[in-house]
Amino acid sequence: MTSASAPLVSIRALHKSYGPHIQVLKGLDIEMKPGERVVVIGPSGGGKSTLLRVVMGLEKIDSGSVTFGGRPYISSAGAGAKTVIDTEVRRSIGMVFQHYTLFPHLSVVQNLVLAPCKVRGEKKASAVRRAEALLERFGLAAKANAYPAQLSGGQKQRVAIARALMLDPKLMLFDEVTSALDPELVAEVEQVILQLAGQDMPMMIVTHDMWFAKNIASRVIFCAGGVVVEDGPPEQVLGAPREERTREFIDRVFHIKQ
Amino acid sequence: MNYTFDFNAVSLRPLIEGLVVTLELTVAANLIGVVLGFPLALLLMSRIVVIRWPATLFVEFFRCTPAIVQIVWFFYCVPMLFNVFLGSMTMGILALGLNLMAFNAEAYRAAIQAVPREQIDAGIALGLNPLQRVVYIVLPNALRASVPVLLTNGIVIFQQSALVAIVAVQDLMYQAKTLATETYRPIETFTIAALIYFAVSFPVAQVVGWLERRRQVLTS
Ligand SMILES: Nc1ncnc2c1ncn2[C@@H]1O[C@H](COP(=O)(O)OP(=O)(O)OP(=O)(O)O)[C@@H](O)[C@H]1O
Ligand SMILES: [Mg+2]
Repeated sequence: MTSASAPLVSIRALHKSYGPHIQVLKGLDIEMKPGERVVVIGPSGGGKSTLLRVVMGLEKIDSGSVTFGGRPYISSAGAGAKTVIDTEVRRSIGMVFQHYTLFPHLSVVQNLVLAPCKVRGEKKASAVRRAEALLERFGLAAKANAYPAQLSGGQKQRVAIARALMLDPKLMLFDEVTSALDPELVAEVEQVILQLAGQDMPMMIVTHDMWFAKNIASRVIFCAGGVVVEDGPPEQVLGAPREERTREFIDRVFHIKQ
Repeated sequence: MNYTFDFNAVSLRPLIEGLVVTLELTVAANLIGVVLGFPLALLLMSRIVVIRWPATLFVEFFRCTPAIVQIVWFFYCVPMLFNVFLGSMTMGILALGLNLMAFNAEAYRAAIQAVPREQIDAGIALGLNPLQRVVYIVLPNALRASVPVLLTNGIVIFQQSALVAIVAVQDLMYQAKTLATETYRPIETFTIAALIYFAVSFPVAQVVGWLERRRQVLTS
């Protein structure tokens, strides 16, 4: 097997529940190749956030395994067993959330340099230089010394993306990063993610924005009831879904949007 | 009512001396409360029952009994039970300080637990280890959030400190009582005493209000 076709992320028989009664992921299998941009769509409560949180190493799992770049990353022998997470692998993954992502007591630059300095032991001056370059690129140079409370929602999310990029992640996870934003601020955040896509950053994205999904995805997964219902290129899953449940969902979402 | 006010009959000097003692009590009690309240909050959140349980009992004792009873209890019971004899000022400071420590521990605990889950998740996603998450994310967040409550508790103790007058600490209230009896001018004396308490508390209360409004803006 060549490294080009070797999976970046390989999720096998993933089961995850919250407590004894809420089974959220019921045997998920996903294989993601390097350079792929996977958009995960599906009904509310279908487990999309849970999936991303598992891949980020934020959740215990019941059973199954996740490997990253061919390396064992997350595993659990069964419900009640300990979830083993390789924290070194975890450090090569970045995530942006929907809410409260920035540290309110730190300025924008301090938000960006905290992890590089503390986790990797990078020199402050060098981290600040990289942070400023990144902010410049995202059109945020003027906000370097502002505090999160002084930023608009769109600026906050762009800073959160820049902060994750400071650690040179090999995979980025985006969980509905624009759904808490005012409509006029959505585009500026999506532009930044599209810009990353242009640089072949592998990513997994949960979004309800079908325009964005179409434009960013190299692959779309429709996830409902804790399993993968349909998985394919965006033209198929968004344009001409094969599964009845996918079709219903797409119709409904587009209906609401229009 | 046929009463001629005579504020000149009340000399301010003893009241000011009393205020100094009251402020000493307040500052000392706040030092105990602010500093020791924090480790106590950590004990309250311990996963180990034999640590959490006594800490909770300690806090609830102070929260669920009247301050005046705590002060009197200290004054009479500590010497008898533990055979230690401390000056009345020390006793007053200890009683007020431990009371404040219990209330501040609750303030710290609430502030720590109010740090949004997403903040900690963001810390994990950035690769910070558990200790780094506590030091760089949870504590700065929580300490800021707890400042208004600590200040409010601090003024409450400033006012509660009037209770130690009954165990002969010569604070503002004690001086006022003495003066009122000496001058037969209780109305004037206690009015002035009240105004002095007010003059100290009111500005601090305004600061608290301002901090809270600012915080609401910052976290929304
Ligand atoms: N921490 C938790 N404790 C208990 N139940 C949870 C927890 N987090 C999520 N759940 C439940 O798990 C299910 C899946 O949640 P999840 O957030 O993954 O869905 P989602 O697909 O992201 O939905 P949405 O589109 O609304 O964001 C839901 O029923 C939710 O109520
Ligand atoms: Mg979600």
